[in-house]
Amino acid sequence: MKNIKNKTKILIAIIAIIIIVGFTITLTIGLNFELKYQDTKRVELNLGKDFEISDIKAITNEVFANKEVIIQKVEVFEDTVSIQAKDMSEEEKTNLVNKINEKYQTELSAEEINIYTVPNTRGRDIVEPYIFPFALATLIILVYMAIRYHKLGIIKVLLKSAIIIVLAQALLLSVMAITRIPVGRLTLPLVIVVYIITLMGLSNNLERKLKEHAE
Amino acid sequence: MKKIKILTITLLIALITMIAFFGIYVQEQNRMENIIKDNSYAMDLNGARTVKFVVSKENKTVIKDAEGKEVKNSENLTDEQIAEKGYTKEEVPYNSEDVKNVENYEESKRIIKERLSKLGLSNYTIKLDENTGDIILELTEDDITDYIVSNIYTKGDFKIIDTETNEVLMDNNDIKTAKVLYGASSTGSGTNVYLDIEFTKEGAKKLEDISNKYVESENTQDKAEADNTAANNTTADNTTADNTTTNNTTTDNNTNTNNVETNETAENTANSEENQEETTTKTITMKIDDQEIMSTSFEEPIKTGKLQLSVGATATSEDTLKDYVDQATSMGVVLDTGKLPITYEVEQNEYILSDITSNDLQILIYILTGIMVVALIVLIIRYKALGALGTISYIGLLSIFMIILKYTNVTLSIEGILGIIVALVLNYIFINKILNKIKANEEISEVNKNLKSIYKDFFVKLIPVIIMVIAFCFINWVPIISFGMTMFWGIVLIASFNILITNNLLKIQIKK
Repeated sequence: MKNIKNKTKILIAIIAIIIIVGFTITLTIGLNFELKYQDTKRVELNLGKDFEISDIKAITNEVFANKEVIIQKVEVFEDTVSIQAKDMSEEEKTNLVNKINEKYQTELSAEEINIYTVPNTRGRDIVEPYIFPFALATLIILVYMAIRYHKLGIIKVLLKSAIIIVLAQALLLSVMAITRIPVGRLTLPLVIVVYIITLMGLSNNLERKLKEHAE
Repeated sequence: MKKIKILTITLLIALITMIAFFGIYVQEQNRMENIIKDNSYAMDLNGARTVKFVVSKENKTVIKDAEGKEVKNSENLTDEQIAEKGYTKEEVPYNSEDVKNVENYEESKRIIKERLSKLGLSNYTIKLDENTGDIILELTEDDITDYIVSNIYTKGDFKIIDTETNEVLMDNNDIKTAKVLYGASSTGSGTNVYLDIEFTKEGAKKLEDISNKYVESENTQDKAEADNTAANNTTADNTTADNTTTNNTTTDNNTNTNNVETNETAENTANSEENQEETTTKTITMKIDDQEIMSTSFEEPIKTGKLQLSVGATATSEDTLKDYVDQATSMGVVLDTGKLPITYEVEQNEYILSDITSNDLQILIYILTGIMVVALIVLIIRYKALGALGTISYIGLLSIFMIILKYTNVTLSIEGILGIIVALVLNYIFINKILNKIKANEEISEVNKNLKSIYKDFFVKLIPVIIMVIAFCFINWVPIISFGMTMFWGIVLIASFNILITNNLLKIQIKK
């Protein structure tokens, strides 16, 4: 029993350290956002013919030295390519256009192609639409838990559930901050998975305790 | 007999699986067409309309008097008249240097976001370049995208002015809310759409004063009385007590998107024109972004602080009604959210496909299928014949799940795909629990009892997740609703399909 308590204490300490480090990194260095949400430079090249993303990728790997880029087809005919990179110099643009011309036998002129600046998406703008749904769901779930497990003590159940739900999310974000996993399109699915696992774990634990209490 | 039952269920599941994954093809003219609906995909998988709004660098021509003050209502002045009166023409930028600052850019972004939200847009991203003020908006491509794009950056400069002197009587600051109302027309032959503008306390007071001052002349009222009755009747159908009874001088507005007309019928308008010459009434003109919406006077003082404008004529078809509602909604949203401090222009407006290609999705499907196959093989090895039946049932559920998602118009986003995966994992856990319990005791009387306890235990523990899923189903944000809806149908299927198919398949096998 004492051994289990010690293990729990160690676990809590580890979680606390991860969260503190994670939040410190978030506040100082910030989170690592995926390229789609960062300030980027973008060019659009009208090839006028079908192309494969993988072929363009091979060219951008050469031009941008394997740096991350976003390649997208444009409009219904899908004969224009949009290339987005963190930075793009005039030289890189010219090189890119030359290689595209070579590959697709086009006559694009680098001078006529503009580099557009794409501003970043703010973290708060990404998070904003999800605050209300999660707050609403959590509130209803806490009310349900308070009713269902009232025999275990309403305040105790509510506090425990709320703290665990918040801690699980804080832990996830801290791990993302420490490991520099990019915040992006896969962040919400991760948040949902952690949320579901937390809810099922909580529910499982409280059901067991309720059963023990009844016995 | 039992073998036949199992075989029948298995064949049925095989058929459903074929339909779900390969479709049903029928000959349509000279080609074969799949009559099974396609899934609809969200912006993150399908691509988005990308619109770049840039801060306008254009100039407008203003005419100034000798003192340097802007001369209102000078649009129709000829160069000679301008010179005669000692006026001068000047080119003035739409956005002066003092409005081009971060605060105004932020405010413009906030207003555009509010407009998108009020228009009920369920998925978009918005980016602001704080240095230039340019705004990039990505939104779902559908039937209303063009309509939204053309309205969202309207400046929304609302004014009620004295038609004669151009004195500004009311502006955006006086508006509290603007909303769309509609009701059956007085003749009962169609529906009228109204834009209901509610003013602030101060605005209401101003409106009352204006409606007292800009009242119809006795002369006109008598002559137009019969005509106005129709208009009054129409407005009386609405919820507010006092309505504007727009009169003869009302003009049609043909702005790019909005076409606001008054309540009168064509006949009224004709009569109105006859009366116009005898009218000595002072009128007001309502303008949005310098486009005239209407000119009118008032029949009686408006004390409710509400003004109702009829949008379009009486709609008799669904399409026309939708058109009028859209027009009124966009105008209402623009008025409701206030005026943009910056004038914007559209620089880029194109559909850009997602960087997640169909190839990427195929790879994901192969990986998931691989994991599922391994998991099902484990089930068969562990539970032998019962495991095989569990596997058949699992595939049946997956197939029906896919068909349901197509026919319930669930928009699939990355989160929606996660919903499918979570539902399938839950179903695997559930089937595994059932098989585990049955394996431990294959007595049919015990099986029934055990199945009940597994159901109870599983779904009681799942209640918090079910609450989350139901809450998400009511959120108008595609990634959230996509996850909510896929999970909802997944959980409904786990509960119902396993009772109907899995349980029966297993019981038949045990009885054997």
